[in-house]
Amino acid sequence: MKARRYLARTVLGWAAGVLLGLGAQAAEPIRIGVVLSTSGPAASFGIPERDALVLATEHVNAGGGVNGRRIELFHYDDKTNPTEAARGVTQLVASHKVVAIVGPGTGGGALAAGPVAERLKVPLLAPAATIGVTDRKHSFFPWIFRVGVDDSKVVHGILADMARHGLKRVGIFHQEDAYGKAGADYARSVAADLGVEIVEVVSVPYNAIDVGAQATRLRNARPDAVLLQVASTPLATAYVKTAEQIGLKAVTYAGAAMVQKTFVDSVGKAGEGIRVTSIGNLAHDPSPSEAKFAEVVKKAGRTPGGWMELIGADAIMAIVAAAGKIPGEPTGPAMRDAIESLCGFAQYTRGKTCLSSDYHEVLNESSLVITEIRDGEFRTRK
Amino acid sequence: MFQLLEYGVRGLLSGAVYGLLALPMSLLFLTTGTIDFAVGAYALIAAAVAVTVGGVAGFAAGIGAALLAAALMALVFVLLKRRGNEDSITVALASFGLAVGIASLVLWRWSTQAFVLPSFATFWDVGGIRISPQGFINLGIALAMVGLLYVVLYRTDLGRMMRAAAVNPRGAELAGIPVTRVQCGAFLAGGAVAGLAGLLIVCSSGLDYTIPLPLTLAGFGAAIIFGIRSPLRGFAGGAAMGIVEAVSAGYASSVVASLVPSLFVLAVLSAQFFFQSRFSGDRP
Amino acid sequence: MMRVLRERPNTCIIVVAAAVGVLAVQGRPVGTDNAVLIGIQALIALSVGLSYGQAGILSMAQAVLAAVGGYLSAILALRFGVSPYLTLVPAIALPTALAWVLARFVTPLDHLAAALATLALSTVVEIVARSWDSVTGGYVGLTGVPSLPGVTTPGMFAGLVWFVVALAVFLYENLMRSAYGRALNTVRHDRARATADGVDVPALMSAGFAFAAALAGLAGWLYVHYITYMSPSSLDTHASISVLLMAVVGGVGYVLGPVIGTVLLSLLMHLLPAQEVQGLFFGGALVLILLLARDGLLGYADRTTRAWRAARKGTA
Repeated sequence: MKARRYLARTVLGWAAGVLLGLGAQAAEPIRIGVVLSTSGPAASFGIPERDALVLATEHVNAGGGVNGRRIELFHYDDKTNPTEAARGVTQLVASHKVVAIVGPGTGGGALAAGPVAERLKVPLLAPAATIGVTDRKHSFFPWIFRVGVDDSKVVHGILADMARHGLKRVGIFHQEDAYGKAGADYARSVAADLGVEIVEVVSVPYNAIDVGAQATRLRNARPDAVLLQVASTPLATAYVKTAEQIGLKAVTYAGAAMVQKTFVDSVGKAGEGIRVTSIGNLAHDPSPSEAKFAEVVKKAGRTPGGWMELIGADAIMAIVAAAGKIPGEPTGPAMRDAIESLCGFAQYTRGKTCLSSDYHEVLNESSLVITEIRDGEFRTRK
Repeated sequence: MFQLLEYGVRGLLSGAVYGLLALPMSLLFLTTGTIDFAVGAYALIAAAVAVTVGGVAGFAAGIGAALLAAALMALVFVLLKRRGNEDSITVALASFGLAVGIASLVLWRWSTQAFVLPSFATFWDVGGIRISPQGFINLGIALAMVGLLYVVLYRTDLGRMMRAAAVNPRGAELAGIPVTRVQCGAFLAGGAVAGLAGLLIVCSSGLDYTIPLPLTLAGFGAAIIFGIRSPLRGFAGGAAMGIVEAVSAGYASSVVASLVPSLFVLAVLSAQFFFQSRFSGDRP
Repeated sequence: MMRVLRERPNTCIIVVAAAVGVLAVQGRPVGTDNAVLIGIQALIALSVGLSYGQAGILSMAQAVLAAVGGYLSAILALRFGVSPYLTLVPAIALPTALAWVLARFVTPLDHLAAALATLALSTVVEIVARSWDSVTGGYVGLTGVPSLPGVTTPGMFAGLVWFVVALAVFLYENLMRSAYGRALNTVRHDRARATADGVDVPALMSAGFAFAAALAGLAGWLYVHYITYMSPSSLDTHASISVLLMAVVGGVGYVLGPVIGTVLLSLLMHLLPAQEVQGLFFGGALVLILLLARDGLLGYADRTTRAWRAARKGTA
């Protein structure tokens, strides 16, 4: 009797060992590429996005991964250059067989890499706010998704808020790049419908060391409110300080790019009352899901900064949700189809989105929060 | 009319910083016949260190950091000279390499933060134009530096040695002038002035890791348009560029305003073409 | 035929090296992609070598001149449906014309002023490219540019690019061996002497600069039909400075110098860590190379071989 039980246990144990061993061998990691700007002007976004998605990935892997598979990241720095972005996508797919790529983070990079992604059949999750990235007219549209909020939604929301508060005369101070110009052009196109008048538009190169003349021109047009369509912190700071100094009395509205701790710290008192449309409010007033990510960041010994980290983390969450739907090993086309089928997936940023083959925005207006700077913090306005 | 004056004044104040950046360029060219492309990087490292250390000590530390970087460049220059390098472009490219290195160092250590210090909350009303005291400080310091440089170059022995080293290095050596030491001194002085410019920018509008190349090119342009051989001309170049930029920003469309500085440079350089009958590169 | 080859060592070297290289990367996507992009950069570096190394005009606008060629080709192909092979001629012609006009103004100036003028031109072109929305697509640029009909794989494109590089080297070498080439060299060393020789210095320098711009335009044409996207930041001032560095590191006075410099610096950038500190290593490596090889790597090789030969003769 004892011998038979002993034999049974041994056979069972052996069988279990074989099965487990097979299971362990079959758990190939999910290979994900990261093509972001970690040098060059766009590094102010690329570096926090990358750091956040690395943290998010480690968190996911610590919890067992996706369907028992770890996520493995492969990085490439596109140096804020479209040629390098395209090259990065080619390299990561060819050398590391990645099945999805987070990036590129710039509009130009995304547009250059799009055709490559189309040819190699790997989806891009691009954290680029530039309006034209997910335009249906591109032949590579099926392979590119935006992780972020289309800037036209942000500008629309800002102008609507201005109209609601009776600030009819609007001036625009924009950066001379794709983000600044596209935002300014879009504002001009919808201003009349929203009930505001664009009285003056001035533009500045992103590394200008003095904005006195442009700010003066804006002041002379006597606007009630100013749209600060700028992504560079020193430039925004220079504007805010100069505006105060030359007597430009208007309510300042800025887009998500300005939700950075470094901006609030730089402008100091002059920043009180600036209204910034943010993607979530990670640092100062997080929603429950955002607070969860803040915990992940703090456990790693860092301070939560802002929207860039939420975008980086949510790119990974979208990948996790998509890969979770794929039985067996994911491929590029399978990942793309899975991402298109996502609806209300587990994301850190507040809000919910449903994607489809026609709609490739991973985040939408439901993630936007209008905040106001008070006492050096971004406070959500009710 | 008043508006034009206001734009002009603002342009002059911002042009003072360009002029300040032109000083190291023209000083160095005068003494060594080459260009230091790292002046923007010196400004950046001075700003980064000053903001990190904070306070008055921070300013001193910032200038110190800029001096250190310039000393490194001087060392590279001496090494290149020892190896018989006669082509000024090599020194210029080496300085560019140093600039890239410094910018990368700042990005690595301080990440993408902006370096800015609180500015004056008050302003002075000068004839209806509200100007921050910082603007006057910038202009004052720039003019003081120009004056100092002029006095040193043209009224002291050191200055005479520097000019001799530029015109005829071999002859100067034979006359007992320590040419290499004088040239290193020029690098260090240039580094200090560039660092000072960086500190002024930090107090005015702020800067970040993307500033070195555009700042260097602005100083380069200011130094060259009226002729690089004299610091006074470099300052005038800076002031002119500042005024032209400001006035065009005030009146022209965005596109034209962004084109004007480059067109101005092309126009000034072409004017030389029309008024000059000799070529450069001719025998003296 | 043999004499032709023997007198053109640079061409022989590049043909063999390019053939070996292109064959080695066939079927390897990363290799072919790099081969194409390095080849295009090498063409622009050759253009710098010609304009600075021979004509003495330090140009910081070569990448932007390439962009002009690329943009024109893209616009003609996208808006007017012109076949990419036909847009080649305008893509070369426009940068050449621009360069020639600029050169006529710039030749009397000294090196630095000329460099500044090319920089100013470069900035003007960039601003026009990003502001002329209706024609150039503005900041966002032009997408969906057709690729070259018949060149279907990146491997074939790599072959095409390096064939063009070899051709450019051949033309460059021929130029330098001719009377024009000799005159250019005299101009670079001593303009008064050249004028005394009866050389029309401004015209010759302008022609040299224009030919260099033609090479750049050709590179731009290849670029835009490979990446199928063109924006103001694709080939900009930063790229111009990069190729200048590549040309100088390789040896700007030597025909093959720019090509070697491009290959080497591209390899260097690949070996460096891909993060924030890359600039530190790159800058340091650049300074080191300039310290060790003042005429570029080919200059170093040249001097070393000469010294070695002299030493041998001395002891023989």
